[in-house]
Amino acid sequence: MVSTDPLVWIAAFYTIAATSYAFRDNTIFKFSENTFIGAAAGHLIVMGVKNVRDFGWAHIMKGEMIYWVVFVLGIMLYFRFHRKYYWLYRYPIAFLVGNGIGISIRAAIHSDFIVQIAATAGPLTAATTFDTFNNIILFIGVLTALSHFIFTFEGMHRGTLGWAPKIGRWMILLALGASFGNTVMTRFGQYSGRILYLVRDWLGVVA
Amino acid sequence: MSAWEKLTALPREVVLGLVLIAMIIPVIRPLGLPLMVGTMAKDWYDTVDALPEGSIVLFDIGFGAGGYPTLGPATIASFHQFFEKNLKIIIMATQVAGSMMYPLIMDAVNPETIYGAVYGEDYVFIGYIAGTQTAMAGVLGDLYAIVSVDYKGTPIAQIPLLKDVKGADDFTLVAYITTSGDIAEGWVYQAYSAYGKDLIGGMLSMMTTTMKPYYDTGQLLGLLDGVKGASDMEFLTGHPGDAIRSSDVLSFSQTLVLIFIVIGNISYFGARAARKEEF
Repeated sequence: MVSTDPLVWIAAFYTIAATSYAFRDNTIFKFSENTFIGAAAGHLIVMGVKNVRDFGWAHIMKGEMIYWVVFVLGIMLYFRFHRKYYWLYRYPIAFLVGNGIGISIRAAIHSDFIVQIAATAGPLTAATTFDTFNNIILFIGVLTALSHFIFTFEGMHRGTLGWAPKIGRWMILLALGASFGNTVMTRFGQYSGRILYLVRDWLGVVA
Repeated sequence: MSAWEKLTALPREVVLGLVLIAMIIPVIRPLGLPLMVGTMAKDWYDTVDALPEGSIVLFDIGFGAGGYPTLGPATIASFHQFFEKNLKIIIMATQVAGSMMYPLIMDAVNPETIYGAVYGEDYVFIGYIAGTQTAMAGVLGDLYAIVSVDYKGTPIAQIPLLKDVKGADDFTLVAYITTSGDIAEGWVYQAYSAYGKDLIGGMLSMMTTTMKPYYDTGQLLGLLDGVKGASDMEFLTGHPGDAIRSSDVLSFSQTLVLIFIVIGNISYFGARAARKEEF
């Protein structure tokens, strides 16, 4: 039975409107696109205000005066629009960049380099034949893919070692292929959820 | 234009129309294709299953409306397992639209009615916290310095579940499900590398190739790979939902895509051979 809930109808309309772009660009798609941008921007503003209130102002109300520093830095960001004092916005930006890099880099080196290198340099033999095969593929893949990016030594690409970057390029292409396949699957997965919504929740064709 | 070239230039409306039909058919008439549970999802399930009752899990809803059809079912199935195991869940969102997904998920899980869970005692939602990795580092480092009230505006000192939770040491497990690469890698950096916490992550299939090295090296103890991971979780938890139905849709429609790829390649090489013959 077709749904009588107006919210379901609105959701169904926007799903179809958004999908219509796959066939041709059209007015209904543009309408849905603009509505989405408007709603998302509105939500973002509300969440921004809520964040300032809950995670900033609430602390100040408890007497934690250090949070005034954050407010001042936040206000300084808006000096970007001032012709004369625009340079002031660079201070909070410097704070944000420094803080962001500092927080992420301390752990990124461990996760992305040390652990990965240690895992690649580990023993090739594993508990099962399949795992051993995987380890060998990984080992060859890492070395040859890295060799593909060595440009300072000409012999690496043209000389007797030329086979290594070639295999590396194939490894990279295989990885890109897997990534592309997964991307297609993701998009289909996302849309299958909407198809289910249209057929079940909106049209009531299935339970 | 030769027959081969005509086939190569098949209008996209025809291709998309056929794909659309291929997606609708399995919804109306489920095929019931066999489901093989993957090791990554099994590891997620086993990691949660091994937790003692009452353990505190920090869960991040890192997706919005666009990711809900894929990741919503995975989150719902995961929450069923959390509540069945009597775990305490602190929910947060590092994605701005995550706060909109929270009520959808909770309406589907219905923890009060099904599991007798109480908000504030068994689970709590501290809302969206801006800053991605800064927010993660803040919550793990000193929760009270970052968060003062929960999503409903109740001071966290008055929430029984959060009374003794100060930071990373109090979380037994950190879990996240996200559409963002920054969030997925951010939790590995902040929860695993910085604090050595047990970590499990769910994400879109397109992110799996990037995130799998973290799983292979033990930084992620379990990984949910898009709809496939979600359907595995629904199967493992015994709560069949949208993901299992979507699996049929995916299998059927992807087969059609494969056929199109084969036809496209055959027609491409056929057209090229025909052109050579002409010269």
